[in-house]
Amino acid sequence: MKKIAIVEGVRTPLVKSWGLFDNLSAQQMGALCLNELLQRTELDVNAVDEVIFGCVGQPAEAANVARVIGLYGGIPKDKRAYTVSRNCASGFEAVTSAAEKIQCGVDHVVIAGGTESMSNMPLLFNKEAATLFLRLSKARTFFEKLKIFAGMRPKHFSPVPALKLGLSDVTCGLNMGETAEVLAKMFGISREKQDAFALRSHLKAVKAREKLREEIVPVFLPPGYQECLKDDNGPRENQTLEALTKLKPIFDRKSGTVTAGNSSQITDGACALLLMDAEKARAMGYEALGYLRDYLYAGLEPSQMGLGPVFAIDKLLRKNSLTLKDMQLVEINEAFAVQVLACLEALGSAAFAKEHALAGAPMGEIDPEILNVNGGAVALGHPVGMSGARLILTCLKEMKRRSLHRGLVSLCVGGGQGGAIILERS
Amino acid sequence: MTQVHLKIEDGIATIEFNAPDRDVNILDSGAMKELEEILSAVRKTDGLRGVLVASAKDRIFIAGADIREIEGITAKEDALSKAEGGKRILKALEDLKVPTVAVINGACLGGGMELALACRFRVASFSDKIKIGLPEVQLGVLPGFGGTQRLPRRIGLVKALPLMLSGKILSGKDALRLGVVDRLFPEKTLREDALAFMRAQEAGTAKSSKKPPRSWFLESTPIGRALVFRTAKKDVMKQSRGFYPAPLQILKLIQKTFGGDPARGFRLESEAFADLAVTKISKNLIRLFFMNEQYKKMAWTSLRLKAGLIQQCGVIGAGVMGGGIAHLISDRKMQVRVKDIHPDALGGTLKEARRLYDESIQRRKLKDNERDYKMGLISVGLTNQGMRRSGIIIEAVVEDLKIKQKVFAELDGITPASTILASNTSSLSVTKMASVTKHPERVVGLHFFNPVNRMPLVEVVKAEQTSEEVMERAVQFARGLGKIVIVVKDVPGFLVNRLLMPYLNEAAYLMEDGMTADAIDKAATDFGMPMGPMELVDYIGIDIAYKVAHILEEGYGARMKAASLLQKVKEDGLVGKKAGRGFYLYQGKKKIPNPAVRWPGGQAGVPSAETALKRMIYVMVNEAARCLEEGVVPEPGAVDIGMIMGTGFPPFRAGLLHYADSIGLENIAGDLERFAKRVNQERFSPSAYLLKLAKSRQTFHGKA
Repeated sequence: MKKIAIVEGVRTPLVKSWGLFDNLSAQQMGALCLNELLQRTELDVNAVDEVIFGCVGQPAEAANVARVIGLYGGIPKDKRAYTVSRNCASGFEAVTSAAEKIQCGVDHVVIAGGTESMSNMPLLFNKEAATLFLRLSKARTFFEKLKIFAGMRPKHFSPVPALKLGLSDVTCGLNMGETAEVLAKMFGISREKQDAFALRSHLKAVKAREKLREEIVPVFLPPGYQECLKDDNGPRENQTLEALTKLKPIFDRKSGTVTAGNSSQITDGACALLLMDAEKARAMGYEALGYLRDYLYAGLEPSQMGLGPVFAIDKLLRKNSLTLKDMQLVEINEAFAVQVLACLEALGSAAFAKEHALAGAPMGEIDPEILNVNGGAVALGHPVGMSGARLILTCLKEMKRRSLHRGLVSLCVGGGQGGAIILERS
Repeated sequence: MTQVHLKIEDGIATIEFNAPDRDVNILDSGAMKELEEILSAVRKTDGLRGVLVASAKDRIFIAGADIREIEGITAKEDALSKAEGGKRILKALEDLKVPTVAVINGACLGGGMELALACRFRVASFSDKIKIGLPEVQLGVLPGFGGTQRLPRRIGLVKALPLMLSGKILSGKDALRLGVVDRLFPEKTLREDALAFMRAQEAGTAKSSKKPPRSWFLESTPIGRALVFRTAKKDVMKQSRGFYPAPLQILKLIQKTFGGDPARGFRLESEAFADLAVTKISKNLIRLFFMNEQYKKMAWTSLRLKAGLIQQCGVIGAGVMGGGIAHLISDRKMQVRVKDIHPDALGGTLKEARRLYDESIQRRKLKDNERDYKMGLISVGLTNQGMRRSGIIIEAVVEDLKIKQKVFAELDGITPASTILASNTSSLSVTKMASVTKHPERVVGLHFFNPVNRMPLVEVVKAEQTSEEVMERAVQFARGLGKIVIVVKDVPGFLVNRLLMPYLNEAAYLMEDGMTADAIDKAATDFGMPMGPMELVDYIGIDIAYKVAHILEEGYGARMKAASLLQKVKEDGLVGKKAGRGFYLYQGKKKIPNPAVRWPGGQAGVPSAETALKRMIYVMVNEAARCLEEGVVPEPGAVDIGMIMGTGFPPFRAGLLHYADSIGLENIAGDLERFAKRVNQERFSPSAYLLKLAKSRQTFHGKA
């Protein structure tokens, strides 16, 4: 088995959608990271075999957005690129795909990452309206056009945001927020607990601002380029519990507990990582940020998708004969505060382990002091296709700062999956 | 030797141009004569069904008339008979009773396009080798083989005028859009497809292709046409400022002949051609054309290197020049990393590049996605991180030798010895910058001019230890960016600023002598300079201009002593256009002379405009003579190209030294001697080299 090195990584600030990054497409953000990664690693582009990016809502104008990112970012035309989607774990998938490609010797050096511009997801017309518009564009005479116009109704002019569809699960019929409500009720996790978790995420993220700059490339904002954004703009310095408490539940207005305040934010951002065979990294004179020891994806009931990490972590650790105690740092993506809380509870619950035929005993507790130490998606935001890559980068940088040996990164995936990766630094 | 071949097969005549021993086909007298004979044979052919006119060359249909022949015309009658003769032959082609098709496979310019226009149809390939146009106007003449008459008839007045007035070259796609060609075919099957196209025309089975729409009002009504001509004239005056007779003649000609009797139109065209062909301006523009061709390809070193692939260029310093260079590099689809220690400057670079790209989008030269791509190629940083990836790094920090040396020492330490380190200095010693590095052979000067995207010149400066290979690579690099290169010696101000600075300085002295900024600028612009010297100083900024003046004074002593006025203006903080006030006050697009710039007039009385012009131009001529003597550039053509491309010296005067030759060097030396006596000994004393040429009644170019 080859050892897979993650040499370096860089990401854009995470920016609340429909705001500062409105004029940056997913491919532009991705290219920006890729370009900066080349600068920071001073890599010869000819050494790069492949570019792999995760993206959920691929821009309509940039099919195979990874290819566009590669070319925009300066990777030569004769190199390869492809885009992956495992929904919320797309950024993860890009990294694990890269590892697979390197492992089997197809590639030696890969740039993997994720990008998502939730600001730029289109509005969609339903099939009926689309058919009418198509006929209209084909109509030749004025009367033909008039006739089609006459047949149009107000409902034809109300497009659906692709983002809304993307955040819904077509098999179980629930949107992601509703699956979070399922977990809140299943585990009886109170609104107060969720809000407290959310507040802590903000406090940690605000405190980590200086540290996070190490992984962020400052972005001059087009079209004026006057402002240079250095930090994520999701974390709120003055976030209070009172303010969180005042918010109304959005997915279940009457009896719900999940609010905009204790859910992840809708955000734009991109992240790029440089992966290669550890031998190669050493030969090229790189000191790797860390190594990808193993990873695993697990499927589960779609309406409880938030529990994905439980299954993925459980199976991955057992496969590696490790326990949660061996993990010195843990990142679990905060799609929803309640979803992380539910995972923590399930991991420690014998009943849950038994019910779901997890191998006997529960995994155990995760020390809150080593979980999401620099805040999570509730404060920072969650550009769906990008977050997986970001979590790996954030975790590795923190492991380095703390001189830790082993870390665990995991996230839940819309549609009912979970992913987990074990990272090591030697 | 036969240049034109005829083959008749199956009733189809193929007239093929294939000049032996040459890469291009040209319509010289020989080729025209052969064409005439072939056409008369074709006319007599029994059962003729169609004619194809084609070329056997790879990238060329017909590149135009023989420019050397036009250059050689000195008598009007000569020009007239050439034009009439050519017309007669193309008329014979036009008058053939069968379908005629020009099969355009490459450059189809000037006389070549006129020939194609005399055919009933024109087809071209999809290849990007296709270049179609009437560039005669750029040589100070007009299409003399009937082009001015046939083109408006083929595509309409509104589309034809700009093509003839600007000499714009069309791609195949554009030519199709305008209706200049009727169809495009794949390059590989062009001949067969053209043949099939012609057969269909002959048989009458061809689908009539939709002609591009024309405006009835503008094309066919007296008022509409008057409007078209008026707008066109305004554009021409704005572009040429009345210095160039050719576009005005074309306009006049079309106005007189459009829609009228063809025979009269052809005759008037020949007459107008004859008028223009003998003008000095046309001769100068032709001279410039040849110089340009020469300098585009000029071998500056003995090395012939394969173009190396540079994955990234570095730029140190995100000021006006650094930003302009970064934009230019990204525009050529290369990655560029810009470093500056000021974050705001980095944002400014991105903003400026974006502005330039947006401008191109507005002029429909660029698409949104291309801008996004090219913007993405520019990355910025506060440290040298990433510079190691650059094959070439261009330093564009402030003009201060100490700071520049620090930059070079730094770069020398972090980059492999194969990286070329270039300075964009405008006047400082590159050799001194190189001296702080361990590998001085890789240090070279690359002097771009402001604004970088518009000024076509780059001075490549050979420092004492610069290696041949680095010189060759630097030349290649600059040419790759679309620039014209002159290689210059490492002397203060190199060539262009060494000449330009005395001119600006002299303008300041003239002001000290009591002339107004306005009057000085007018003398210069009336001469054809794109901008007067005082306005130019404002544009450059007095802070920078004064610095350069000072460097030159240090380098060359008393003859370049900076005018006291410059120092006073600098001390008064009249920085120039960027500050809104300098020699002029700037408000929006308006500028008025700045009353705050005052100087007690000299005793000798206020110089006349003529004297002023002589003083400003002749100091440049005098200094250029020194440059030639010292070998700053190898030959006078480099001075002419440098001044035209680097400072906008009027192209119709074919450059500073061509202009000097036309005045007569003994006259110039005489005037200089007079100025030396009356105005200032140091500034005007003619140089030894100039005196030598003047005494032996030689010219700069005559000797070379």
